[in-house]
Amino acid sequence: MIQIKHLSKKFGALEVLRDVSITVRKGEVISIIGPSGTGKSTFLRCINLLDRPSGGSIVINGVDILDPKADVPAIRRKMNMVFQSFNLYQHLSVMDNLTLGPVKLLQTGRQEAEKKALELLKLVGLAEKADSFPDELSGGQKQRVAIARCLAMEPSIILFDEPTSALDPTMVSEVLAVIRRLARDGMTMLIVTHEMKFARDVSSRVLYMDEGVIYEEGPPEQIFDNPQKERTKIFINRVRSFNYRIASPDYDLYAMNAEIELFCEKQILPLKSRQSLQLLVEEVLQICADTLRSTAIELAITHSEKTGEIKLLVESGGAEENILESAALPDELGLTIIRNLTRSIAYKRDGGQNRLTLILKEQ
Amino acid sequence: MEFQIQKETAATVVAVIGRMDAVTAPEYEKKLAGMMDEGEKNFIIDFGKLDYISSAGLRALLMTGKRVKSLGGLMLLANIGGAVKDVFAISGFGTIFPMHDTVQSALGAAEE
Repeated sequence: MIQIKHLSKKFGALEVLRDVSITVRKGEVISIIGPSGTGKSTFLRCINLLDRPSGGSIVINGVDILDPKADVPAIRRKMNMVFQSFNLYQHLSVMDNLTLGPVKLLQTGRQEAEKKALELLKLVGLAEKADSFPDELSGGQKQRVAIARCLAMEPSIILFDEPTSALDPTMVSEVLAVIRRLARDGMTMLIVTHEMKFARDVSSRVLYMDEGVIYEEGPPEQIFDNPQKERTKIFINRVRSFNYRIASPDYDLYAMNAEIELFCEKQILPLKSRQSLQLLVEEVLQICADTLRSTAIELAITHSEKTGEIKLLVESGGAEENILESAALPDELGLTIIRNLTRSIAYKRDGGQNRLTLILKEQ
Repeated sequence: MEFQIQKETAATVVAVIGRMDAVTAPEYEKKLAGMMDEGEKNFIIDFGKLDYISSAGLRALLMTGKRVKSLGGLMLLANIGGAVKDVFAISGFGTIFPMHDTVQSALGAAEE
């Protein structure tokens, strides 16, 4: 139905999309997720030619839509888009918003267009609002009208660009319910969304976009339960991280602790987790004292908002060495504390770096 | 780290306040060493106002404990709670020194 190959889009020197390729089959519901500013909306806008791609090809039902001779308005009629900010005509009633396109562009008769509009308003639960104006509607109702208006053009594909982002949380579900219904009815849809539960439930396929590329794609079970690639894991598990570099054994313990404290505060971690984390870091650094005489150490603390997991990553250069095994401390106190604070400790030599990963026990 | 020193008949009560970590543990060792140099050899360490201890603090306790022992004195730990108690528990340190719930109880033991 849609074949996109090597799609790219630049805004001046800024490359927003890089080499994006994907095939969309009829009836597929594809959710596009990823951090803000990674090209998701631009990708949709390029498909709909609201933004002109810088390179690559988009073929829809056998028509190369980037061909200068392509009938863009006809393409847009078949591939309608629902925007974050509704984009309703404020001066027109709900009914007129729905009938304007069919009457003007599809040359549908007024009566027939109104009949169809009423059916669609019933579908989205807003038949009684036909004579209202957009200003009289809530955000959720406006978006449902926007979806009905989109359906009035009888598209074969609908592109949703963050359809619930501008809504109060209480209104999100009414809009998502309408989109779920369209999915059940077999509508082909590409949906840019931050609603992860919705994306998981409704999608046949999920694209995780990051830095202008489709970084990982797969069925929702893969992307949400078992992401294969590192950045997908970080995003899905809502991992927040804090990095700190220590270049000398005479590092400022209190300056570091203050930053750890700040990170923990932002993450709203309980006091016990904060204390355990500070203790773990101090014990590890005590053991690293010799290493610090010859090489710097990079610390990274990560917290998964989804699972609650707190991880300490310790990375150092120099010769291959698991600092916890080659520690030259006078006693086992530090190691005993570390072992008791953590539920897993793993060492790996990777790319000339010693990498130690310690996962804090649940508090 | 701060100290509050209270001389009692049976022992000197040293309340340690704040944090006993890699930075402050040497201060504790120095403080106790100074008192031992002046002839004190019986100590009760009051942990009631200590918020945090790491292995560096535990090591400092061990070092001073050894010296107290070599002087024929005694060192009792009292009032250990919260996060400090947890570290004592996970390090197995609680079995090394006699511990008392309160300073009064430690003083009673020191008088015996």
